Amino acid sequence: MKAVIVSDRDHNTALFHRLYDEILSCLKDYEIKELLVGRGDLAYCTGCFGCWVKTPGECVMRDEISHINRAIMNSDVVFYLSPVVFGQVSANIKTVIDRGLPNMLPFFIVRPDGSTMHPPRYDQYPSQIIIGYGDDVSEEDVHLFADITKKHRRGAEAFVYNPVLGLSSQLKTITLEKSEGLL
Amino acid sequence: MNVDTRNIVIINGSPKTTQKSVSGGLAERAAKLFETHNIHSDIIRARGITQETSGDVFSKMRSANALLLIFPLYYFCLPSMLMRFLEDYAEYLSLEGRPSPDQKVYAIVNCGFPESDINEEAIRVVKSFARHIGVTFRFGVSIGSGGMIIEAKDAPFMKKAIARLDAALTLMAQDNGDTPAENVSISVSFPRKLYFFMGNHGWFSMARKNNLEKKALYARPYQEK
Repeated sequence: MKAVIVSDRDHNTALFHRLYDEILSCLKDYEIKELLVGRGDLAYCTGCFGCWVKTPGECVMRDEISHINRAIMNSDVVFYLSPVVFGQVSANIKTVIDRGLPNMLPFFIVRPDGSTMHPPRYDQYPSQIIIGYGDDVSEEDVHLFADITKKHRRGAEAFVYNPVLGLSSQLKTITLEKSEGLL
Repeated sequence: MNVDTRNIVIINGSPKTTQKSVSGGLAERAAKLFETHNIHSDIIRARGITQETSGDVFSKMRSANALLLIFPLYYFCLPSMLMRFLEDYAEYLSLEGRPSPDQKVYAIVNCGFPESDINEEAIRVVKSFARHIGVTFRFGVSIGSGGMIIEAKDAPFMKKAIARLDAALTLMAQDNGDTPAENVSISVSFPRKLYFFMGNHGWFSMARKNNLEKKALYARPYQEK
């Protein structure tokens, strides 16, 4: 089994290290690829849609993102570790998420709950888990951080790390395996 | 008539580099409407700000009476480019001091999907941003089928949506902060099936212009087995 851990290079706090150690102990049987993303490492997604209509499946800006997306699509589980910033992920981690767009298809589909989505490009996707961390994150931001992903994306999980509960208890109901592309 | 001395800084949060953007079009519409209320506004394109120019821009934002953030929805929240801009602004404020707590913050979020409610969490992020920098969040405007609001703004079926947008902008212009404010949701009254059909057709026609056949759009470059 393969795991990818995407972390924010610029927010290397004590809490981050604690979270990271907990993840490693949850992934004992996994082959792990660690990816650190910092300011200036990746270009921002500009919404050009080139990854859909020019070079389908790949971003037209050829920086590290091609390697990151390839690693993600060939893993069983991806962890995105991000400081909680205004209730969402940081700019560094959001850049990786935004630039995951090539892994979807253009077109509109209707999901079972009636909402609109873009269809999956691949048959299977890794389990995607977005974990926020921060000292003194407000209740409001804890809820918002989860809602952004959980209200809209069926194939991804999101929560704020609670060191008192411990990561393994927070991951209890989440599968760390590939699944068909429920988007 | 008294001349209003308020000023609003409008932040165009579109990450697009060259093409015209919906957020840019909305920013221009907002500035024009504010002008009719004698409110001065400056439009700042967040994409064009560098570390060298950010000081002047951030100082202007800090002293404004209100900020209006206009941006597209990327993965159900703020695009990374705009997050960087706001993170840097918050860092600037931690060194230079916070704006007046009376400064008002508004947001307009547009999404390509027809459902406007999808933008709700992005508006909550802007509210959280306001809370973190110690200013007053007022309300946000959610727009579904965002591309149409600028491109098809003169079409008869857009009348209602444009009227609602202008009403929301007028609320911002006249907002004295005394009354509770609620978010505004704007959907375009256009058949969803037809919207999907046009959208899907659009992808194929763009691909054709790039000399790609239909099936090329379904490529799986990262599939290893």
